[in-house]
Amino acid sequence: MTMEARPVQRSDSRELSNLARTSSIPSTPNPSSSSDAFMRSENTQFMSKPLGQQTYHLLSSSNGGAVGHICSSSSSGFSTNLHYSSIVSHEKQHYASGSSSNAALSNDSSWCSDSLHGGFLDFPENHQASEIEDGVIGAGFDDIQKRNDWHEWADHLITDEDPLLSTNWNDLLLETSSNSDSKDQKPLQVPPQQPQIVQQQPSPSVSVELRPVGTTSSNSNNVKARMRWTPELHEAFVEAVNSLGGSERATPKGVLKLMKVDGLTIYHVKSHLQKYRTARYRPEPSETGSSEKKLTPLEHITSLDLKGGMGITEALRLQMEVQKQLHEQLEIQRNLQLRIEEQGKYLQMMFEKQNSGIGKGTASTSDSPSKSEHGDKKTTDSKELTPEETRKCQEPESPQPKRPKTDN
Amino acid sequence: MKFGKRIKEQIQESLPEWRDKFLRYKELKNLISSPSLTESIFVGLLNAEMEKFNAFFVEQEEDFIIHHKELQYRIKRLAEKCGDNDDETFREEIGEMRKDTVNFHGEMVLLVNYSNINYTGLAKILKKYDKRRGGALRSPFIQKVLHQPFFKTDLVSRLAREWETTMDAVFPMSNREAERGYERSAVASSAAAGEGIFRNTVAALVTMREMRRGSSTYSAFSLPPVNLSDPDLVLRPIHISSPIPIPYS
Repeated sequence: MTMEARPVQRSDSRELSNLARTSSIPSTPNPSSSSDAFMRSENTQFMSKPLGQQTYHLLSSSNGGAVGHICSSSSSGFSTNLHYSSIVSHEKQHYASGSSSNAALSNDSSWCSDSLHGGFLDFPENHQASEIEDGVIGAGFDDIQKRNDWHEWADHLITDEDPLLSTNWNDLLLETSSNSDSKDQKPLQVPPQQPQIVQQQPSPSVSVELRPVGTTSSNSNNVKARMRWTPELHEAFVEAVNSLGGSERATPKGVLKLMKVDGLTIYHVKSHLQKYRTARYRPEPSETGSSEKKLTPLEHITSLDLKGGMGITEALRLQMEVQKQLHEQLEIQRNLQLRIEEQGKYLQMMFEKQNSGIGKGTASTSDSPSKSEHGDKKTTDSKELTPEETRKCQEPESPQPKRPKTDN
Repeated sequence: MKFGKRIKEQIQESLPEWRDKFLRYKELKNLISSPSLTESIFVGLLNAEMEKFNAFFVEQEEDFIIHHKELQYRIKRLAEKCGDNDDETFREEIGEMRKDTVNFHGEMVLLVNYSNINYTGLAKILKKYDKRRGGALRSPFIQKVLHQPFFKTDLVSRLAREWETTMDAVFPMSNREAERGYERSAVASSAAAGEGIFRNTVAALVTMREMRRGSSTYSAFSLPPVNLSDPDLVLRPIHISSPIPIPYS
């Protein structure tokens, strides 16, 4: 059943998963139950088929030190020699605990499988070959998927008589500059054939020895895989490149061979090599074209100040100071956010336990709906729920301190 | 609404090629009020957004890793060249090196900021959705977000911190420089403020402070106010005047 044939269904957990899938996952849900099951209960699949290409692997190279995350659509040489590192097992725990809701579907694994499924479907008749030439493997493809899906939804939704929604969708589709938020986003286009391509391919089975037609294709561009590099892996890369005579002389194939990292594809190496070459021969802090423009004001200052030479240093110190501040604040904020979520999760769990034990009537909505004062954030007079929270029993905000006590 | 404004400002101040990678907060918010939006569509949209973040983040991270190494080599070579003498001849190169390092650090921090903004935006939009629709989308979805690649900023953060210590060690301010005092910094800072990374960073700090000042929907999931160590000291000399038309492409 193709994506188009199945209209956007509603109010069904299955459709939820389907739609969530189709939004970010180009592949078809094929008859294979493993695929569906995988989507909905990643942890199970994860555990049982840990080495499937749909998982998010940590691989160790034979060098021993270099480790990278590979989310790969299983290149032809994909062996079963995948090692789980402690990080992966850490992730496994998350999966086990996290993804029970139908609504919350794609986690790392399905993120993998996004590109993954896309990869299998990128066969010679693939129309996005040009997209794939981008440095980012999955992004172009996913972009199209995204656009395509939005268009799909728009098609369906515009038929509803909802001017508001229609308007919004039109905005999104047409990407008029009147919508300043999305001004810079690429216009949504629809390659119509594309979904059909998506549908034709059977979704890859969740197995390690995957021998999909796609990966045997010599066109390595078709292997949709997103790789997450690490400094260690990069170091191994650099070593390999150097031993092959430098970035100009080294070939992706040679480097790939030397590195001996399972799951690393020639495409990964190729795009990484490209970036590497660029970085070496145009040593700007930013790889972007705007770097020149960006640096111009400072360059002016430099030339003016060479005599004194101090102003620029002061400016840099100030800039560095500000950057450090932002960094620090971001760390703090992130930790707080994590703690808040953890706390919320715990509370919800407790709440549900209580509910299931006692029955619904005792959903603990507090009846003191006072909001906390803006300034008064350090107090913990907090067995209270704000009005909006009392409305939703499902998400008890707190019988506990309203926010984690923090020293900032 | 405040966040919507904030994120918009952030986007405007951000590096040009980043601008279309942020969360489409406003669109999503508007969508929520529409009756024809279903949960599945909404989830799908959010997933698509996350895909976008992931792709962008991972690619930037890769660039940073490469550049991180290159900068290290460069510094080493430069250090060898200069030796120990406080030679004037290399001053320009050193200055250049400093600048590149600071800018590099800045970009990395901005990527962490990018991640944070999008996370915050997602959390807020989910909260709005649940509030409007009586849903329970937020909690499980956020759990999922926590495992997304774009959220895992540890590596970039670590690299940035390395540079923070390196900067102090390798490029200490000589006494002479310190004596010049900060009176020149006002001039320099206003000039430097035209520089993209710097502007963006300051805007991010200001935004963060504003956003955490307090809100009408404060809950257990809200963050406390920002506690900048002496924020005024850092931010006061910086006057980002009404937007200078920066010739970004």
